[in-house]
Amino acid sequence: MEQVQDKPASASDAAGQDDRRELRVEAAEPKSPPAEDFDPKLIEIVNFDFFYSQAQVLHDISLEMPEKHVTALIGPSGCGKTTLLRNLNRMNDLIDGVRHKGDIKIKGVSIYHPHLEVISLRKRIGMVFQKSNPFPKSIYENVVYSLRVAGVKDKSALDETVERSLKSAALWDEVKDRLHDSGLSLSGGQQQRLCIARAIANRPEILLMDEPCSALDPVATAKIEDLILELKKDFTIVIVTHNMQQAARISDQTAFLYLGKLIEFDETSKIFTNPSKKQTEDYVTGRFG
Amino acid sequence: MAAQEKPNATGSFGPAVKSPGEAYVWLTSMGLAAGLIMVVFLMGLVVVKGVEAFWPRRVVQVTLKDDSPFKLIGAATYGGELTMRQEKRSRTIQASSDSDIPHMEMQLFVANRDVYGLSFKFLDVADIKSTEQPGSIVKLERIDGGPAIGTPLRIQFDGEKSLAADAAEFPAELERLVKEANERRDEIHHIEKKDVGRINARLEKLSRRQRTLEEKAESGADIQARIAEIEPQRSELQARYETLAAKARGLRDEQETVKLVYRLMSGQERTISVGDIIHYYHPNRLGGLQRVGLFLRNIWVFLTDEPRNANTEGGIFPAIFGTFAMTLLMSIAVMPFGVMAAIYLREYARQGATVQAVRIAVNNLAGVPSIVFGVFGLGFFVYFAGGTIDSLFFSDRLPTPTFGTGGILWASLTLALMTVPVVIVATEEALASVSRGVREGSLACGASKWQTIQRVVLPAAAPGILTGLILAMARGAGEVAPLMLVGVIKHVPDLPIDATFPFVHLDQKFMHLGFHIYDLGFQSPDAEAAKPMVFATTLLLIALVVILNLGAIVIRERLRRRYSTGAF
Amino acid sequence: MSHFEQEVAELKETLLRMAATAKSVISKAVKSLVERDDDLAREVEEEDDAIDQLEIDVDEKAVLLLSKAPLAKDLRLIIVALKTSHDLERVGDESVTIARRSIELGKEPQLKDYIDIPRMTAMAIDMLDDALDAFVTADADKAKGIVPRDKEIDALNKQMQRELAGYMVEDPKNISRCLHLMTISKSLERIADHAKNIAEEVVFLYEGRDIRHAANLGGDHQI
Repeated sequence: MEQVQDKPASASDAAGQDDRRELRVEAAEPKSPPAEDFDPKLIEIVNFDFFYSQAQVLHDISLEMPEKHVTALIGPSGCGKTTLLRNLNRMNDLIDGVRHKGDIKIKGVSIYHPHLEVISLRKRIGMVFQKSNPFPKSIYENVVYSLRVAGVKDKSALDETVERSLKSAALWDEVKDRLHDSGLSLSGGQQQRLCIARAIANRPEILLMDEPCSALDPVATAKIEDLILELKKDFTIVIVTHNMQQAARISDQTAFLYLGKLIEFDETSKIFTNPSKKQTEDYVTGRFG
Repeated sequence: MAAQEKPNATGSFGPAVKSPGEAYVWLTSMGLAAGLIMVVFLMGLVVVKGVEAFWPRRVVQVTLKDDSPFKLIGAATYGGELTMRQEKRSRTIQASSDSDIPHMEMQLFVANRDVYGLSFKFLDVADIKSTEQPGSIVKLERIDGGPAIGTPLRIQFDGEKSLAADAAEFPAELERLVKEANERRDEIHHIEKKDVGRINARLEKLSRRQRTLEEKAESGADIQARIAEIEPQRSELQARYETLAAKARGLRDEQETVKLVYRLMSGQERTISVGDIIHYYHPNRLGGLQRVGLFLRNIWVFLTDEPRNANTEGGIFPAIFGTFAMTLLMSIAVMPFGVMAAIYLREYARQGATVQAVRIAVNNLAGVPSIVFGVFGLGFFVYFAGGTIDSLFFSDRLPTPTFGTGGILWASLTLALMTVPVVIVATEEALASVSRGVREGSLACGASKWQTIQRVVLPAAAPGILTGLILAMARGAGEVAPLMLVGVIKHVPDLPIDATFPFVHLDQKFMHLGFHIYDLGFQSPDAEAAKPMVFATTLLLIALVVILNLGAIVIRERLRRRYSTGAF
Repeated sequence: MSHFEQEVAELKETLLRMAATAKSVISKAVKSLVERDDDLAREVEEEDDAIDQLEIDVDEKAVLLLSKAPLAKDLRLIIVALKTSHDLERVGDESVTIARRSIELGKEPQLKDYIDIPRMTAMAIDMLDDALDAFVTADADKAKGIVPRDKEIDALNKQMQRELAGYMVEDPKNISRCLHLMTISKSLERIADHAKNIAEEVVFLYEGRDIRHAANLGGDHQI
């Protein structure tokens, strides 16, 4: 971060210079105040290789994603960002013939630990998909799904979760009178917010988002981006996006991947105003990819 | 400024182009029309012929020419319901006939089989001297012997008292007597069926217990006291049986006391106990509304009564019930098996050559002729499984088989086996149509694979699964061949589900609409008389299948509205 | 070349045209002073109108390009273009001031020989030239070299102010001519400042570093 010292204006600086400095002082502030104390290595990816049968899709990825921050994964199609994301909650286990080398740790514990139940891992991580996928159930049942599969039956706990999650997802006011309508009766943007509410219902620590706005119109996109900035206070968010400006708007760190390799990983402001690597510069300015 | 093109005759610019493929549209619509016409024709035929059976017809009395060969046991005057009027099919060379003039013949339902030996009579219209429709003619529905048609003469009471037919109070009296007779008959039925039946069941239980005890006594145990207990119980039951039997006998005697004397149109006088009359009416005195009322009554009787007279009369309620019960049991059996098999094939099994082979085998199973299933059901279910159950649980009843013979349970299971491929295929399709997105969403929420299937995939696939059930029911309800081997019977006095413990009698044989049609059409002693019943039963079977399907469709629509996600 | 790159090239070209006009306007203004040519002075005012119009052009193009949400170097280029156009417009205005003062001076006899003023002018025009050169050739080091040269012109200006102050004290009749000359000197000093600003912006563009106000605030400010 910049060092800003408040020196008095010298005689030679005309009135215009003061405005300049004040503007710069504002620019020096981070986008939103960081959490007071957070774990800078909540998610640690260590020399991670990933293979679909014979093909290697991720090469030696090492990343540290801090707690209660938004990390964006950007890169051209096929660069492995979605694959990396889906490895964080081991969704790739569903595919036949995958293997990996290296490790991914959350809070210092490897997610591939033999004693770790995948289901318990997924309960601590929420995921929002590119195409919103609400269940063909009521809005209420959609939100409490994770609690129900975990065995929670207490109605008051469920009610409280529904209200809290829908409020956090900025959907409560729109649906509070029709919680028992089908989740599929909502608009596209509302459905995606419902999926977000569902993902955060069980109070996971980490939220994974795979291009959550790519199927939405600008108004819905703006709502969800705003939401992510709010959610950042309570959750660690990893988001894959194709939209450079979106990543610039909402993320704190950005990782640029290309052909399965990590090219650059830095503060978002640096990546998007003055990236170190030429490949990153070329991608970000649209010269390729 | 370029010259503007003028539209040509068809309103388009440029050369008129015919939209290609128009001809095929016509072809497809013709195909559909052909199919629809066939269905409409078939349904129309069945409906018309079936409904015809219930419509009360007029009775005509014909007087033939003196030399007519169509006399009925010598009588030139006789009558019956006019059932058919058509061009003569067989041309017998007659001296007085003109080969150019078409000969009409008509068929009369003369009833009174006990007198004439037949029910239907053909005669040439040309030979008729005169016809009339006497109003006093009465059609009697009798307990057996088929209907009787004649003119009532008098009621003969016990002793010498009698009431002439022309007396003012005759109609009311006859009505009262017949009503009383019907009530008495019901009571007799109740006594004989229910009360005596219960006593018989208890007696049988006692005998079985005695036998078991005797067997134990043979092996040395000292249970003479227990055996001794049985005797008094048996006598008590016996005594009760005697009382009931006596009562029934008394009632039966009462049924015989009053008699009705009537004369056939051909002159013979006959007597019948009023107790044997179920229903009567004056066919030629019915007004329009009365006719409709009678029509509806006939339909009601058809649907709710038990069959009489070798299944040619009465109702077919047991067949309806049997078909319905069997289809229900079959559905209950097939759904869990089919759905679970499909879930395993689609969700859990590793997709490879083995699974493909299983799938092919299942599909081919659908092509196996149904009689083969009947044979399999007979061999495996009836003899093997049934025999084993009998020797394990019902050994005291042997050699009378309980489950070792055909019954509704084995029939349902056999048909379930036959329709399982349909359910599996439909369920697999439905499961496959559930999008990957919702499955992944569920797993990402921390659900296990089974929870995902149970909570998300199955509800979403439910409409498609129900489609499979509909197809299975439609196929199963109509099959007759396998049933003949594993459980249907021509006539059974009891229903498979009734009020006696254990309420659902899985070992009992049952009547079935499809089999009933076959039985009526080919095995009844009086084929002509049975024809209307055949059509009526066919109509009913179609109606039953339609109702079952509609029910399933309604449920499927409701589910689709709630879980609209898939393509079904 | 993509559409976006074409539009960026057009922006650059407009900016360079603006710079060329600014340079010509400075020379003309000082020439009109030295040669006491009123017509030349009036031309300066017209050319400044052209500069003002070009500023509007550049700003419009820049805003349009910003709406396409450029990033990294594209983003920095647009920002530099906006600021540079502002600096160049100010240069034009300062030249107009010089021209107007020279018309006034032309009404009275010349006070003294003009030695320092042409020198200052040459230095300022050199600075501007080099800054635009660095912009075109992406030479951040060259741009960095321009920044300290501003001090020389500042020194010359101060010297000029003292000298003219002396003249004013000597003879009150000199006052009005001296005031005009002081203003002209100040204007030239400001033109050199603007050239320095442009040089700093070029460094920001090509190195991503903000080197402004290094003396006051201490050190460079890396993005």
